[in-house]
Amino acid sequence: MMGPRLARVAIWGGMLLLLAGTLFPLYWMLNTSLKPQNEVFLSPPKFVSTHWTIAAYVRMWTARPIGRYFLNSAVISVGSTLLAMALSALAAYGFSRFRLRWERPLILVLLLTQMLPATLLIIPYFKLMAELHLINTYLALILAYVSFALPFSTWMLLGFFRSIPLELDEAAMVDGCGRLGAFWRVILPLSLPGLVAVAIFTFLLAWNAYVFALVLTTDPNLYPLPVGIANMLGEYQVVWNEMMAAAVLATLPVLVLYGFLERYLVQGLTAGAVKG
Amino acid sequence: MEAHPPGRSHRTARVWAGQGLRRERWLGYLFLLPMLVFLLGIIVFPLGHALVTSLYRETGVRVRFVGAGNYLRLLDDPAFWNSLRVSALFTTLSVVLHLLLGMPVALFLNQLRRGRTTLRLSFLTPWMVMPVIGAIAWVWLLDPHFGVLNYLLRSAGLIAADKIWLGEPDLALGSVIAVEVWRGFPFVMLILLAGLQTVPKEEYEAASIDGAGALQRFRFVTLPHLRYLLVVATTLDVINTVRAFDVVAVMTRGGPLNATEVLPVLIYNMAFQANRFGPAAAVGFVLLLLLLVFSALYILLLQPEPGVARTP
Repeated sequence: MMGPRLARVAIWGGMLLLLAGTLFPLYWMLNTSLKPQNEVFLSPPKFVSTHWTIAAYVRMWTARPIGRYFLNSAVISVGSTLLAMALSALAAYGFSRFRLRWERPLILVLLLTQMLPATLLIIPYFKLMAELHLINTYLALILAYVSFALPFSTWMLLGFFRSIPLELDEAAMVDGCGRLGAFWRVILPLSLPGLVAVAIFTFLLAWNAYVFALVLTTDPNLYPLPVGIANMLGEYQVVWNEMMAAAVLATLPVLVLYGFLERYLVQGLTAGAVKG
Repeated sequence: MEAHPPGRSHRTARVWAGQGLRRERWLGYLFLLPMLVFLLGIIVFPLGHALVTSLYRETGVRVRFVGAGNYLRLLDDPAFWNSLRVSALFTTLSVVLHLLLGMPVALFLNQLRRGRTTLRLSFLTPWMVMPVIGAIAWVWLLDPHFGVLNYLLRSAGLIAADKIWLGEPDLALGSVIAVEVWRGFPFVMLILLAGLQTVPKEEYEAASIDGAGALQRFRFVTLPHLRYLLVVATTLDVINTVRAFDVVAVMTRGGPLNATEVLPVLIYNMAFQANRFGPAAAVGFVLLLLLLVFSALYILLLQPEPGVARTP
């Protein structure tokens, strides 16, 4: 029977090994992105280099359209976030403040749409957007991403709104705002953590999305980051350090936002549960 | 302003009295209207459109109505059965490995006193990274001649010559599964960790006092509390993995020789490489059916189980 100390060492050892395996691919991505061109294909490969340089990043930004991809991704993601927040906040307000007969079936349908496979929807989207001349537009992608973000966003905001007492609405309405005023001035400010969580969730959903953009954009000028970078993989001679630099750049906003999301997501989930 | 009967609970919106609410209800639906219109136009209508598409077949330039023909043809289609098999393998292995990795890490993080947040975020990184980016990083790692994995395996004496990970059918399937496992286990780990943190510490202490070892504490204290979350996490994971497209698409596009052609990739290839939208839509609805079955399970399981602690 293993002594407790040996067991502890074994467990920590196993975990550290697992951690190393988890982080290594990303470390390798970073490492490659910083290598000068002549070190990328060295065999044996260098794990750490004294010649680390940001030349690949500079080349990626200046000679390649990654700035354009960033712009496209940013516009699409921000647009999706704003639209999703507006629609889900209004809907969650309706669900939480009014006793609606169709509430349960509607919420059920909402949750079910969360389960739809994207690869089924790309077929009608492609055909419809082609007919509406919306291929190669930001709008087409924004619409698609909002539809995927709505169920979870509405559900999360619903939890938040339910925990806000009705007297606050009524107090605001006594003071002369209408329903909409109460919504805008009282409910929204109090649900800030939930709104932030929804915003970050939708932003990341749109930022990381691939298949819809793959199908709905054929003009390279409109490629968002995932499509633009994946496209570089098909080149005859892949310039790996530049490719990895692009990958790192594309990932940075995600890592930053996840840092924020953690806190608000936990708050959002627990507030949603304390509705009694 | 509406008059409300006195003495009602103020805690939730549900406790409104019945009278005089017809106008209120109408206003409530008005708030829902934008979202409903949106969902109708962007989800329901396209779904119907896809259903209609699945009833037609493209032959050359012509498109003709075949009713259930596309669906029936699937039964004889080797590509479909292959894809079903690949998807089954891909999903089962990925989900099982997600759990086998996620549970120990969750247990480990749960009993940490310091550094938990940092370590948790570190373990979370594969999941945070865009699927496309993760896939690209791995493509480079798995490069036959210059990839670091072959170098490490050769140095450790585990393989004799460089393996073409994404070029041989069995290796390719194993590779995409490995990448999906790497990507997806943090999600399961997170759910399990949240669940572990609701297990009352007193029960562990009581079990220890009764002489239970670590394994027995796990079996008799941890697992019963986690059972509900485990099923939820597994169902969610299956649903997400069956639909997964990005990793396989970027790494292999379904090849080599359709060895990695999971259902979503089959649909994409049929529709956008072979231009067979009708049959592709039919496969899409089969996939949807599979997912609905799992979703029904998930929603059934969301009904709270009496007597067991549930994380929000």
